[in-house]
Amino acid sequence: MTRARRDPRAERAAAALPGAARARFDLFARCAGGRPRRDPRMEAAAQRVDGAARLRLDRAQTGRPAAAPAPSRAEPAAPPAPKTIVMAAPAFLVAVVPDLAAGRLSPHDRQLFGAARTLAGADGGVIALAGAEGAELGPAGADRTARLAGPEGYAPDARAAAIASTMAALNLRHVIFPETPDGGDLARRVAVLAGEPLFADVEMVSAAALMRPAQGRRVEQRAAPARLITLAADAVAPYAGAPREARDEPLEPSAAPASAILAAERIPADPARTPLALADFVVSAGNGVTDLETFRAVAAALGGTPGASRVLCDAGLMPREAQVGASGTVLSATCYLALGIAGAPQHLQGVAGCEHVVAVNTDLHAAMIERAGLAIVQDAQVVMPALIEELARERGAFA
Amino acid sequence: MTYALPALVFVMVALATVQALRRAAWWRLGAAAPVAWGAGLLALPKRYLVDVHHVVARDPYASRMHAVVASGLLAATLLTTLAVLPPLGGSRAYWAAVALAFGVTAAGSVLVGARRYPKRPKRLSGGGFQILPFLLLAYAFGGLAAALLLALGVESAVALGLAVALAAAGGLGLAYEVRSGPMRHAVAGALHLVAHPRPKRFEGGRPDAALAPLDLDAPRLGVETPADLAWNRLLSFDACIQCGRCESACPAFAAGQPLNPKRLIQDLVAAATADERAYAGSPYPNARPVAAPAEPFFRIIGPDARIHPDTLWSCTTCRACVEECPMMIEHVDAIVSLRRHQTLELGAVGAKAAATLDNFRGAEEPGGRPLTARADFAAGLALPMIGEREVDVLLWLGEGAYDLRYGRTLRALVKLLHEAKVDVAILGAEERDTGDLARRLGDEATYQQLARANVATLAKHRFRRIVTSDPHALHALRNEYRAFGGDFEVVHHTAFLLELVEQGRLTPGALGGAGVTYHDPCYLGRYNGETEAPRKLLDRLGLDRVEMARHGRRSMCCGGGGGAPVSDIPGDARIPDIRMAQAAETGAGIVAVACPTCTAMLEGVTGRTAEVKDVAELLLAAVEAGR
Amino acid sequence: MKVAVLLSAGRHPVSGRGALPRLEAQAIRLAAALGSARGLHAGPDADVVAEALGRGLSQIDHVALAAGADPVPALAAVLRAAAPDVVLAGRRGQGGDDTGLVPYALARALGATVIPDVVAARPGSEPGVIEVEQALPKGAARRVVARLPVVLTVHPAAPEPSAFAFGQARRGRIERLDVAAPAEPAAAAIAVAEKSYRPRPKMMRGAPAGGSAADRLKAATGGGEAAQANVMVSPEPREAARAILAYLRQIGVLAPPPGAG
Ligand SMILES: Cc1cc2nc3c(=O)[nH]c(=O)nc-3n(C[C@H](O)[C@H](O)[C@H](O)COP(=O)(O)OP(=O)(O)OC[C@H]3O[C@@H](n4cnc5c(N)ncnc54)[C@H](O)[C@@H]3O)c2cc1C
Ligand code: SF4
Ligand code: SF4
Repeated sequence: MTRARRDPRAERAAAALPGAARARFDLFARCAGGRPRRDPRMEAAAQRVDGAARLRLDRAQTGRPAAAPAPSRAEPAAPPAPKTIVMAAPAFLVAVVPDLAAGRLSPHDRQLFGAARTLAGADGGVIALAGAEGAELGPAGADRTARLAGPEGYAPDARAAAIASTMAALNLRHVIFPETPDGGDLARRVAVLAGEPLFADVEMVSAAALMRPAQGRRVEQRAAPARLITLAADAVAPYAGAPREARDEPLEPSAAPASAILAAERIPADPARTPLALADFVVSAGNGVTDLETFRAVAAALGGTPGASRVLCDAGLMPREAQVGASGTVLSATCYLALGIAGAPQHLQGVAGCEHVVAVNTDLHAAMIERAGLAIVQDAQVVMPALIEELARERGAFA
Repeated sequence: MTYALPALVFVMVALATVQALRRAAWWRLGAAAPVAWGAGLLALPKRYLVDVHHVVARDPYASRMHAVVASGLLAATLLTTLAVLPPLGGSRAYWAAVALAFGVTAAGSVLVGARRYPKRPKRLSGGGFQILPFLLLAYAFGGLAAALLLALGVESAVALGLAVALAAAGGLGLAYEVRSGPMRHAVAGALHLVAHPRPKRFEGGRPDAALAPLDLDAPRLGVETPADLAWNRLLSFDACIQCGRCESACPAFAAGQPLNPKRLIQDLVAAATADERAYAGSPYPNARPVAAPAEPFFRIIGPDARIHPDTLWSCTTCRACVEECPMMIEHVDAIVSLRRHQTLELGAVGAKAAATLDNFRGAEEPGGRPLTARADFAAGLALPMIGEREVDVLLWLGEGAYDLRYGRTLRALVKLLHEAKVDVAILGAEERDTGDLARRLGDEATYQQLARANVATLAKHRFRRIVTSDPHALHALRNEYRAFGGDFEVVHHTAFLLELVEQGRLTPGALGGAGVTYHDPCYLGRYNGETEAPRKLLDRLGLDRVEMARHGRRSMCCGGGGGAPVSDIPGDARIPDIRMAQAAETGAGIVAVACPTCTAMLEGVTGRTAEVKDVAELLLAAVEAGR
Repeated sequence: MKVAVLLSAGRHPVSGRGALPRLEAQAIRLAAALGSARGLHAGPDADVVAEALGRGLSQIDHVALAAGADPVPALAAVLRAAAPDVVLAGRRGQGGDDTGLVPYALARALGATVIPDVVAARPGSEPGVIEVEQALPKGAARRVVARLPVVLTVHPAAPEPSAFAFGQARRGRIERLDVAAPAEPAAAAIAVAEKSYRPRPKMMRGAPAGGSAADRLKAATGGGEAAQANVMVSPEPREAARAILAYLRQIGVLAPPPGAG
């Protein structure tokens, strides 16, 4: 039962053309305007995730469809080159403050533009307040961009002060932050500095109202759009229209406030030493892995944090701290690569929170294969060296 | 010269009394405890001859050895004291009788020696215990020789003197040993049988295994130092003869975890003694280093105290040690009382256990899962909530209901109940966890809260009896909730299903002779004495049932009790692996279980060859085959 | 160092019963490493935070406040008087409005610096200075040296809370403070309409802006990984390796191959 393999790169290349001319299904409009379509089966399945207070779509636990969907093909005809939308004199401005971690827009950053577009409507313009230049800002949906000047390094109060003064200078109608560690922190600093209320962790956006959960997700609050907003991740679709102008908006430099921060030093993540509970990507070995040298090399090459099933820890082949599962560590990783792990319930409990699971297992009927989004029914001992080889080949091809 | 031997015996008795009183001074440092002295004394012969003998007899050699040497020693000593009565002292027939008694003692002493020489079995302690046979032999042969001389009328002061001297060397040695040597067990053991903290265990009926509730308003919670232990508990530890039967039964010991119940009892003895002799038995496996303090009545648990916390948390509370102990010592009571102090006063529990206890407090459920999700396993099955109407059976679902695998068992059980047209309902979201696990982890405060809440819920509803497939819940509801005003008729699902089969409400067909072996859950077998119903049920399914070497009340734990899985103290092996290997030895292809924890533990064994199936699942298959 | 730990009347995420938020329990543990700590709660009832006494605090100050009242003015008044060097708080309340503004508002009122997402804190090398470690996404961290006073919010990756000890909770004291709540201007509030929360499917992560309409539809309806689950039976090792790498890149946990932009 081999399912057709998707080629994600080809798909993405095919779909990457922004602003298709033909009418597209605007997901965001549905969210904002009417009731989103519900799929009761999916919801029921999703609710079954143990211990999750809020709904989690643990996709791998939803039932497999009886037939695999046909692999998505590249979009048939390439749409004509999109025209950049120019907004000469917006009636008002809605600002977004993307995190721009490592200088790139994250998916969450892009969703800010989707929300901003809704609030800006036809007349308003969307302005991106960024610390750095961003070529992607126009396609992402920015009519304007403004460079926030500020001291180098960790200076959140200076950034907040710059945003607060921009807010006043440009008479921004709304400022939208991502509800991320950085964005959320910044939003709150701006709120107390400007004396403005904050509507935090918004999960639904329409031109007329915002919705946010409160009281430990027991109630939802609806209100007319506030001036300061933080947006939850993956709640709103990114802007999907034609690219916009992203014209530079010059700003008066403001004086940075005195800082009580004397020194700040960033310590980069070392996947090999990251505690499992914090790791974003865990590469884990089970009883099916006999060659632990190669396994460690694979984990290192992929930049994953090594984990293991209980058997390996019991046998002393992996340290006890590496144990994933009910009696080991419960993961919060984005991705779990399980090499030779059967997927006993006690182990799966530790993986329940992982969004993506890749399983390599010789047994087609292993629970881990069932759980996986990509399942490779093959010997881990041959796949591991192949992974290392493939990565080396890529590097070689580039060099 | 006829008085030399009786004089020696009087001196011996006096010395033994002095030594016993010296030891008793330590017991008195323990906490006060109510003791029914009169009833205890009256019951002593029965407790000794029936209850103790029942356990001792499991080792036939030890049983014979002890009967001969103990009765000989007692008879010879008592008989000799009668020599002070003039007509007897001059009677050669009397001395012949004395000689016979010493002869029996001598024979017994030889048995004692033969057990320890040339090679001492591992589970027995060395040290002073290796000298014991020589003391016994000296006393017995010295006494025998002296009595024989007198019986035969041989008038040799030298010979008699030598014989009495030999007897004195042995006899005074034995008497001296009453304070801290092997002979302590005789005096402390007898007193312990009189003042036993659980007199009910001698009354027959169900085992007396319910833990005593802790007074949560007490100034100090749980046991920190020996002074927090009741005096008769301190006494009970002194009864230990270091036979090591508990050690051979202990699953944690077998798995190489740092627990040895015998060593634990000896550590408790040492903690309440200034100059206890060095322990000479098997150590804690993989013992964690501790800095044992010199002074007595110090903190008992801690890396800087006598017993390492890992030792305490390795215990599965399976009661195998209690079941095997010929001296009727209650190890589990001691362990739980020590845990109570760690948990309630110090918050010194492992991280996983702490998270579990947090869940208990926050969500009334050890996994922190919503109570409303407990019945999810039954999706599609008609399983009504209890309402106003009285029902025959309230089905208590327990923690297993949340487990995907165990859901299958519960579905099988519900289907069987439907098939037999049983009037059954569940509590739904009103069912909180019984708190069993919190209690075994020492969190008596949370346990009592849950117990009171559950008792109040159950009191609101009308049902004839409770049926549950979870022996831990069964034990709590049936035995431990009594102290909180809960008096319910609670039936294990295996007993209930047997009843249905016997009444003809279920008619199982035959399953075609597959081999099956039944694993007794500790909380059903040892804690509740129920070992027969599941076996009778299996025998009706046309299965070829075989027994593991350890079964019934002497079965071995799956490793899942007492919070051991959440404390997760590493050892050399895992208890369920050992148990599954024992099951594999029988050659049976199916291991029948009757407990959600056993199911999870035994199913979790990697590379197992046998299938793990609940009795209810097997019965359902048979009922379906019989249609 | 004088430390105050803010305690809120949280709710258990599953049962909804009153419970000390886990982050605040972790805050108590961090506080213990810094110096003598007292708990501080503003609200109608201190019983809900008494749990903190079993987690390592021996004393809680309680400012009685009407239910639903803004705790910031009262807390600010108490803290201004007590002048702690460090104020520790959870990142967000749990069970109230949950906006996470309290620490920031207090810092503003006290003239203190906010350092969020702290996982470790120790006194700095010179007096009046603190050294903290902040958790950043994906396992990175930042070491920050700051001048006191500071308001620290705690990150979930901080050390596990100390286990609850019933005996200690029994001995701890709750002291009621009577604070004439200063007439500070009430914070501008947002008029909200409340109803019970209804979960909605999330957008699929990794469906980028340019994804096809079909992709986004699938994302919106929650048709996620399982719907496109991919099983390869006995592939060539090399083929398998390529599929894994492509998948890891699609979900964004592996960097694109060198030279791929
Ligand atoms: C300028 C300004 C603007 C504001 N705007 C808004 C707004 O737009 N929306 C809004 O909802 N609120 C706003 N408020 C905040 C409002 O004053 C309340 O503080 C807020 O609603 C409380 O949220 P919370 O209780 O959920 O706690 P959070 O702010 O989430 O709590 C964070 C941490 O603070 C501590 N804490 C919380 N409550 C207590 C307590 N009772 N006692 C002790 N410690 C506690 C805890 O450690 C907690 O973990 C604003 C305040 C100011 C000053
Ligand atoms: S505790 Fe009991 S079983 Fe264990 S060694 Fe002592 S007497 Fe024997
Ligand atoms: S109860 Fe069981 S695990 Fe605990 S000491 Fe006794 S035999 Fe060992």
